[in-house]
Amino acid sequence: MPSRVTPSSYLRNVLQNGVGRYVCQLQRVTLSFCKSTNPSRGARDFIENHLLEFTRNNPGVVIYLDPKRHHSPKLCVEYLNGRTETMSIDRYPAEDICQWLDHFRTRSGVQINRLRKNWHTDTPSIQGTWTPATNRPTSWNVTEFPCQEISRRLPDKETATERILSAAKALREGSPTNAAIGKETEL
Amino acid sequence: MATNRVQQWATFARTWWIYDAKWQCPRQSAPVLIKYLQGKHKPIYHPNSDIGDHVVVINTKHIAMEGEYWRTWKFSHHTGYPGGFSQTRAYDAHDADPTMVMKKFVYSSMKGTLFRRLCMQRLHLFPEEELPEDILRNVSSQIQQVMPVPKRLDEFSAEERKAFPQLFEWPKDYIMETGQKKSTEES
Repeated sequence: MPSRVTPSSYLRNVLQNGVGRYVCQLQRVTLSFCKSTNPSRGARDFIENHLLEFTRNNPGVVIYLDPKRHHSPKLCVEYLNGRTETMSIDRYPAEDICQWLDHFRTRSGVQINRLRKNWHTDTPSIQGTWTPATNRPTSWNVTEFPCQEISRRLPDKETATERILSAAKALREGSPTNAAIGKETEL
Repeated sequence: MATNRVQQWATFARTWWIYDAKWQCPRQSAPVLIKYLQGKHKPIYHPNSDIGDHVVVINTKHIAMEGEYWRTWKFSHHTGYPGGFSQTRAYDAHDADPTMVMKKFVYSSMKGTLFRRLCMQRLHLFPEEELPEDILRNVSSQIQQVMPVPKRLDEFSAEERKAFPQLFEWPKDYIMETGQKKSTEES
């Protein structure tokens, strides 16, 4: 399986009793950007106009700003369960960075998985499950392979040779009514 | 519970199919064969599950290509080194290995997924009609040919040839055109 595929897992229960008070799982955000280059323009715009509002609303989240010369901007978030996620915000406008940061803030920090399910039915098929022997000609059980009759494909239409032979047969029997080719040869 | 387990074996059992490639076009045969190799003929087909069947192809030496394709169809190859590109005409490839043309057409008509190599491993090609005993023992089904095999002139008996209606008589001084190209040595 390629490593880029979303990992899959079965649905599991959280092994804790009840639901406690809300604790923001996002702990730390590191925003690395460049002070001069164009790909970081949206990141700089975000820092100037939206960052202080975010910190005011979320006092529990630490934000580090990490200027790196001529690097593409990156968003590195750390959660309470120890997981870290990194995302490139190269050429992202400030509004998109706001939305992505909000997405990371509201997440639990658990890795996103594709859910797998076991197949189950309470009403199994009356006909029975399909097997390769279903709808297979029973005469094949006693046929020796390779078999010419099964393999051969017959022509869809009457061939030219068959038409000539049937016309000639009709001529010889003296009823050239349906023999179009026979008429031509008579003339 | 024990019957469920056996039911699973029966449903996912691999069938061995045989295909007679005598006078068959490999370009038209390939999409028919890959249907069985990938398991698309089964109602339980799913692109993520490896449920293809085995296909044994006999008489690959006696395949028929349409029109001028023996001369004009080229198989391309690149070694990866500079100047490593080469092209082989179909008749040259067929001389070198009588199973190669069929194999190339089947391989190229499948999509380049991770299952393609596995499907190719289940394709068994034989230049003549003779098969090893252990492979012939597995064969239990046959795939119908894609085009009708015409009857050759030497396969008709002398009586049949004599009884064939003569549509007209050639003039005494008529020079027959054989349809073959004139050799350049004369001019």
